[in-house]
Amino acid sequence: MAEEVKKAPKPVDVNSAKYKLGKIAADAYTDAFQAKKEGKIVAWVSSNFPVEIPETLGIATVYPENQAAGIAARGAGERMCNVAEADGYSNDICAYARISLAYAKLKECPEQEVAMPDVVLCCNNICNCMIKWYENLAQDLGVPMLMLDIPFNPDYDVPQSIIDYVSAQFWDVVAKLEELFGLKWDDDKFQEVTGFSCRASRAWLAATACAKYTPSPFNGFDLLNHMAVMVTARGKETAGEAMETLYKEYMDNHANGTSTFRTEEKYRIMFEGIACWPYLRVTSTGLKSRGINMVTTIYADAFGFDYNSFEGMIRAYCSVPNAINLEKSRDKRIKLCKDNNVEGLLVHTNRSCKLWSGFMYEMSRQIGEACDIPVTSFDGDQADPRNFSEAQYDTRVQGLVEIMDANKAAKGAM
Amino acid sequence: MTHTEIFEKLHEVALNPKAQMDAYLAQGKKVVLCAPVYTPEEIVHAMGFIPMGAWGGDRELNRAKEYCPAFLCSIAQSILELGMIGVYEGASAIIIPSLCDTLKTLGQNWKYAVKDIPFIPMTYPQNRKPAFGVAFTRAGYERVVAELEKLGGKFDNAALRASCEVYNRHNAAMRKLDEVLAKHPEVTAAQRSDAFKSAFFMEKSEHTAIIEELIAALEATPAGRGKKPILVSGILADAPQFNAILDEMGLYIAADDIAAQSRQYRTDVPAGDDALTALAEKFANMDNCSVLYDQEKLRVKLIVDTVKARGIAGVLVVMTKFCDPEEFDYVPIKRACEAAGIPVTIVETDRQMAHYEQARTNIETFRDMLMM
Repeated sequence: MAEEVKKAPKPVDVNSAKYKLGKIAADAYTDAFQAKKEGKIVAWVSSNFPVEIPETLGIATVYPENQAAGIAARGAGERMCNVAEADGYSNDICAYARISLAYAKLKECPEQEVAMPDVVLCCNNICNCMIKWYENLAQDLGVPMLMLDIPFNPDYDVPQSIIDYVSAQFWDVVAKLEELFGLKWDDDKFQEVTGFSCRASRAWLAATACAKYTPSPFNGFDLLNHMAVMVTARGKETAGEAMETLYKEYMDNHANGTSTFRTEEKYRIMFEGIACWPYLRVTSTGLKSRGINMVTTIYADAFGFDYNSFEGMIRAYCSVPNAINLEKSRDKRIKLCKDNNVEGLLVHTNRSCKLWSGFMYEMSRQIGEACDIPVTSFDGDQADPRNFSEAQYDTRVQGLVEIMDANKAAKGAM
Repeated sequence: MTHTEIFEKLHEVALNPKAQMDAYLAQGKKVVLCAPVYTPEEIVHAMGFIPMGAWGGDRELNRAKEYCPAFLCSIAQSILELGMIGVYEGASAIIIPSLCDTLKTLGQNWKYAVKDIPFIPMTYPQNRKPAFGVAFTRAGYERVVAELEKLGGKFDNAALRASCEVYNRHNAAMRKLDEVLAKHPEVTAAQRSDAFKSAFFMEKSEHTAIIEELIAALEATPAGRGKKPILVSGILADAPQFNAILDEMGLYIAADDIAAQSRQYRTDVPAGDDALTALAEKFANMDNCSVLYDQEKLRVKLIVDTVKARGIAGVLVVMTKFCDPEEFDYVPIKRACEAAGIPVTIVETDRQMAHYEQARTNIETFRDMLMM
């Protein structure tokens, strides 16, 4: 047996997008701890809450969804879920919520500590489950909850009634935060923050759109890591700068014929759904070992908060993936598939997310037909490792490969 | 009629909603299906349609699986199933509110699974109490009105005001019935369920008349004795097997916090010249429900207060499997009951459930706790 030769670790390139983005994501947690130490206000915030509010008011933010994903990816999802379940929470409840409620109880988890909140800021444009989760957090932690309700829109376009309702709530939340904590809204600061948020969003959209090149200049699993910055720091100046670096690196990769997908790109697929954080390596390897690059996901679109007016900002927050109807959701995905020459769709039927999975069967059928690509699904969970089977995943991916192979052969024979 | 005869009549209605619907259709009336949890039935009624509750049914799911993953609640899945197999044939439309995540997906799936019955969305605000929330509810109602007009309905402010009065009187009758039933342990859980369930399948003034007759009959009857009073909480409590177990265990429902029962009738439409705004204000005034934003968890307090006020022995949470709004509320309910020294237990039920042995064991243990 040959002796293993250990490679020297690659020196850290502090100018790389990977370093910059990793640092921003890590700083988001340390900044909140520092703010707490300095007596500043810390908020726990849902991922698609208008970040412009806490950023403008100088409130430090922690994103429980991001924390839960980190805890799950580091292997503590089941342990934390067990804590919540012992308190009476059903294991049918979203695993992010279970992990977060367990953290609220224990106030510690070495896999991802966070600063405790003075207020929780909830926005339900991702799901109504968020409302219940935050109600219970507010009760358990004895802190106020501010709710910005962005209803699920059954129509294709955002009607004026929703714009008016959400706009009124935006200023209502601002007024309540001012009153609760003696803060002062500053329009100039707001303009600056919206500028940062749009800059980060534009660069993110540009970077993810680089998947249109064949081969793609990046491994789609990169997006799942970089996305953390779009969740936790898109209103910060550093986020825009780091995202622009990412875009430049992808363009350089394209020009040089290189990619962060470090094997031959035989197949290009879209991955649908939240990542299986406890099995990130397994799900990634299951694709990469077959030469499958997940070139796009709806996350590419989800954090594209680019707007040029207040109403445009409200409209953007009303148009996030889980707040829109089947037809609009479908068309966004069809565009991603077509723009990025996708050959197959792999759907994560995520037990934690009833809303995301609830009309996915019909929508993925329609996407498959519209794009003439095969669709397959596997059962999993974003954070509870007990709801995933590696064998099923492997079988389903292999099935997808066989159909994509047959399609390639048919096209070659034409 | 005696109260037993009235209960038999209500049982027939509760057991045969399809026969009720067909009878209305045979009379030349149009029927609009109203899905859980809250829909503006008053508007449907005022515009000349029969609002017909569509809360699914106890049955095995087959066709719905073409659209729904297994972990969606069986109420929503069975509504879709009934639509797909033609049970709702003849209905003019279905109104589905988006008050929980599964209901959002039900509306989207309905459009493709049941193409011959139009889907009318009703989008409610969660910040329903401020003026901007009331305005948004009103806009949602206007959307429903516009959709019903396409189906031949006519909107008239005075007609809506009159329908609101019909519904307010029905609400009062159902609240009174709940109070009277609390004093009549001899009424079975199944009979109580029939009284509430039948309300979804009858034109409301017809149902009010029969409920008022039932109240009078019960008030003229001496109360029975010997059962343990409990409060049941959840979305549904209409499964015959479940209700039979309560009777068998010597338990009776002295109050409920069931979405398909008392939660429907707690709030009236207030006075107001603009009936649509008054109806929106009714929604603003609603509370104490898992699908209505409740930062203060008033629902939990209401349960504890009701138990104390009615001398109830314990709380039985009837959890519809995969209903996450209820699953989140269970923990604070459990904590509050325990803190107040109120015995509390949970049983999981499901529209597909054929065997209730586990529920029986849980309820038996619960009964033993109450007897100690």
